[in-house]
Amino acid sequence: MFDRRGQIRIIESFLAIAVVFSAVLVSVTFPSAPDLSKQKSLASIATQALIKLDTNGTLGSLILKQLWTDIKTALEVLLPVGVSFNLTIYDGTGHVVNSEVIQNSNLLGQEAVSVQYVCSTRSQTIHFFVVRLQMAWMG
Amino acid sequence: MRQRANSGQILLIAAFIMASLLLSAQIYILEVGKTSEEVELDSLSDFILSIRLGSENVVIGSLANISNGGASDTLELNLEKWASLIRDQYLYGKNVLNYTLRDTAPYSSGIWLNWGVNGHGFSSAYGSFSHRLSGRETDVYQSYTMNITTTLLITSTNRRLNENTRQVNVTINVLNEAEPATAGQITIYYLVSNNWLIPDETNNYTLLNYGNGTYLASFIAAFPAESVEVSAHIMDYRGIYVQANATSIEI
Repeated sequence: MFDRRGQIRIIESFLAIAVVFSAVLVSVTFPSAPDLSKQKSLASIATQALIKLDTNGTLGSLILKQLWTDIKTALEVLLPVGVSFNLTIYDGTGHVVNSEVIQNSNLLGQEAVSVQYVCSTRSQTIHFFVVRLQMAWMG
Repeated sequence: MRQRANSGQILLIAAFIMASLLLSAQIYILEVGKTSEEVELDSLSDFILSIRLGSENVVIGSLANISNGGASDTLELNLEKWASLIRDQYLYGKNVLNYTLRDTAPYSSGIWLNWGVNGHGFSSAYGSFSHRLSGRETDVYQSYTMNITTTLLITSTNRRLNENTRQVNVTINVLNEAEPATAGQITIYYLVSNNWLIPDETNNYTLLNYGNGTYLASFIAAFPAESVEVSAHIMDYRGIYVQANATSIEI
């Protein structure tokens, strides 16, 4: 009686281990949850790219001169390959400033992340802009 | 009895294996959480850095305005607008930027313009900032001072060429925050009969850029005395204006 009870306990223990182990395996391999860390790191890359572009007041100066193509080119250089982006610039009152679309490809159907960045010009008459950069990994 | 004792030991071992498995699963979950937290902190520090960068741009632009003849309260007004704008930009809590402009001599409302006659010229802005970002899980406080100063140092010598004409050399040093900097625009003047004249190609005017914030302006001019007053007016690459006067001494 005692021996059988012990064996059953051992079998139960191993079953429990198997259940826990398979649960861990399933949770690691099951791709149902969105990869938030990837999205957050993309947001961080975006902010750093904008900070780099804003160093020495370059971003504000490009906006003031309405050099939309130059901004697009700069972002293509600063962002990793394989990232599609769309940039919208607003003035202090919330009106869109960029008269041309600043994007490298369409974001439709992709899991996008959005970053908002506030910048100021270094010009004698100061202008403030809110820059919204939407991005997604291509493919 | 012996078999009963053994089965208990195996049960214990099995329990330890289960515990270690559960612990490793827990550690894995904690590690994943830590990575996510690091990403959160990174984006927060990026946000704080962007506000600091924007504040610096406001101070530089305001100093450029004031040094070019703008109103002395421009810096304060611009910072007020900037602080008001960024207050609305953080959606997860409060985002407050406070600033104090230096008002102790030689500064007034955070600005000091000293365009002296001894070969030194200063255009400077000085402010202290404190930035607090607070929300449900965040409370970050950062304070810093910002000193934006364009310094101009000039020295001048002249050499007699003939009865009336002399070659004048003016050495110009431009500094931004005590580091060598590039000048966007340099204009040299010299004083003859109470008139400030600008040397041009008729004076064989040349301007040599040494590439390290040092420039050498040379020209030939006619003036009777052994010394002449010279003046350099420069605009650095940030648009900040500064000037300095010096006496050119014969060598």
